[in-house]
Amino acid sequence: MASIEAAQAELENGGPMPRYSTNISRIVNSRLYQLTLGAAVASRAGRLALLAAVPLLWLAFLHIGPIYQMAKISFLTSYPLQHGRPASYTLANYAIFFSESIYFMPLIRSFVFSLASTAITLIVVFPVAYYVAKIVRPDWRSKALLLLLVPFWAGELIRTFSVIMLLANRGALNFLLRDIGLIDRPIPMLYTSFSLGFGLIYLICLYMLLPLYSAIDKIPKHLLDAAADLGAGPFTRFRRIVLPLSRDGIVSGCSLVFLTCIGVFATPMLLGGPTNVMFPETISGFFHGASDKWPVGAAFALIMLVSALTTAGIFMRLVGGKATKLM
Amino acid sequence: MRAYFSDIPRTLLAMGYWAFMLYLLVPLTLMMAMSFKDANFIAFPIGDLTLRWYSQVLHDKQFLEACLYTIAIAVATTFAATVIGVWIAMLIAQSGSRWSGILFALACLPAVVPGMISAISLRVFISTIDMPTGTGAIVLGHTVHAVPFVVVMALTRLRSMPPNLVDAARDLGADSIVAFFRVTLPYLGPAIAGGMIFCVLLSVDDFVRTFFLGGYRPTLPMLIFAKVQGGMSPEINAMATLVLIVTAAVGLYAEYMTRRSRSR
Repeated sequence: MASIEAAQAELENGGPMPRYSTNISRIVNSRLYQLTLGAAVASRAGRLALLAAVPLLWLAFLHIGPIYQMAKISFLTSYPLQHGRPASYTLANYAIFFSESIYFMPLIRSFVFSLASTAITLIVVFPVAYYVAKIVRPDWRSKALLLLLVPFWAGELIRTFSVIMLLANRGALNFLLRDIGLIDRPIPMLYTSFSLGFGLIYLICLYMLLPLYSAIDKIPKHLLDAAADLGAGPFTRFRRIVLPLSRDGIVSGCSLVFLTCIGVFATPMLLGGPTNVMFPETISGFFHGASDKWPVGAAFALIMLVSALTTAGIFMRLVGGKATKLM
Repeated sequence: MRAYFSDIPRTLLAMGYWAFMLYLLVPLTLMMAMSFKDANFIAFPIGDLTLRWYSQVLHDKQFLEACLYTIAIAVATTFAATVIGVWIAMLIAQSGSRWSGILFALACLPAVVPGMISAISLRVFISTIDMPTGTGAIVLGHTVHAVPFVVVMALTRLRSMPPNLVDAARDLGADSIVAFFRVTLPYLGPAIAGGMIFCVLLSVDDFVRTFFLGGYRPTLPMLIFAKVQGGMSPEINAMATLVLIVTAAVGLYAEYMTRRSRSR
């Protein structure tokens, strides 16, 4: 008893740390550890610094920093800055965006394609997610989901490239149509709006699947059974129960798909052809070569970021769900 | 009769599922099938079959170098993103409700910023801190992209952790560092493993950040992009098929692992 009290007293007086029986003890009891980390965690401020310093610095510098720098550059009259000359700020870079249709048309096109792709994806994927979450037998459920996820791992470029296989003039679809005698000469499908939309939907549809699946999966089955017992048909059950209860999934799925879609760079370049220039390609034009056009590019990027996030925000407000599970 | 009619929506949904499945798999299958074509151009029907594209790809020094470079970047990215992501998750889990909301939103910011904007803003950022484009910049960009996913996975697991585990460790004399490494970190194990594999796949797939932050050494997506733009031959198909098989295997394994750890 006395020895325990003595040990406790020793501990409270900042005596030697208790010994560990594992080989961690060699580190913890070493002089170096005691003087540095050990001393730091002994005080509340030290613990807080150890826990918070790196994350806060990372968040401030690398999550906000790039956006902040981009915003700052977008107001500069000239870039790169010369030493000794003060930076002067202007709105002219933003005015360039509105000056010519080759600048603002791609943004409109990006929005149209992204919104349409999001809507089509929602309509196509919703029944699939519902089927997997509610109708497939529970023991088959994860296999059915896994089967859908296989193409998910193929990556942006490989999926885009595989769409070319399907839609090219000498691709599979034209070959099939010609072989069964529907057409004489190939329909040019690649490098059109059709191939672009097809490729975008092919690229992003699985981002819709997981949020929808997890939302529909949470709907209690007895609600549907009760509604059916009370005489509600399939359509009423869908409209009054499934749709409202999967709202969170719809909101996060649509936001995710829309924001991904509008930022896709390689797919429009490979599938869209010269007539379907999307906004990311317009922006990238300012970042090739010398850096003196960066302010304009940064302004364009900021216009796109703000308009895309505003659109997603308005959508969330309108539908009223919470995008808690954006990933 | 009534039961028969009530099965109609169910059958339609099943057909929808398989049609969607077909839609997902047909282009990739065509892409893989074309890699066996015995000709210098891409066209259907495939006709004679050959394996020579594969042997050519496997002897292609540029391809092998791109593979190694991609893997090196992925490993560095995964390591950095896991350390920082778990650290941020620990901070969020231990801060008060008002701060944790703000911090979580900040941590998720790179995941909601469209890829193109993220790449451009990082390009501007590294030039303002005088960092050259190249391997370091690519790893930085990929890490910023991957951190939110690690944070979300680690945080989900942390929230399910009984708080008395750490308390017990502290009572037994462990300081908070030891308690973290001996109790919290092992508990986070499955989430970290899942997050790490996700980081690898994000990094291997990424094109737009690499395109704007990279130097002259191509990663796999950049190599494929350059080849597709330069003129197509079944060589690209063989290349893409190899990459696809490896990434799909890794992805499926990750999915299997996380599902197994969740059901346990």
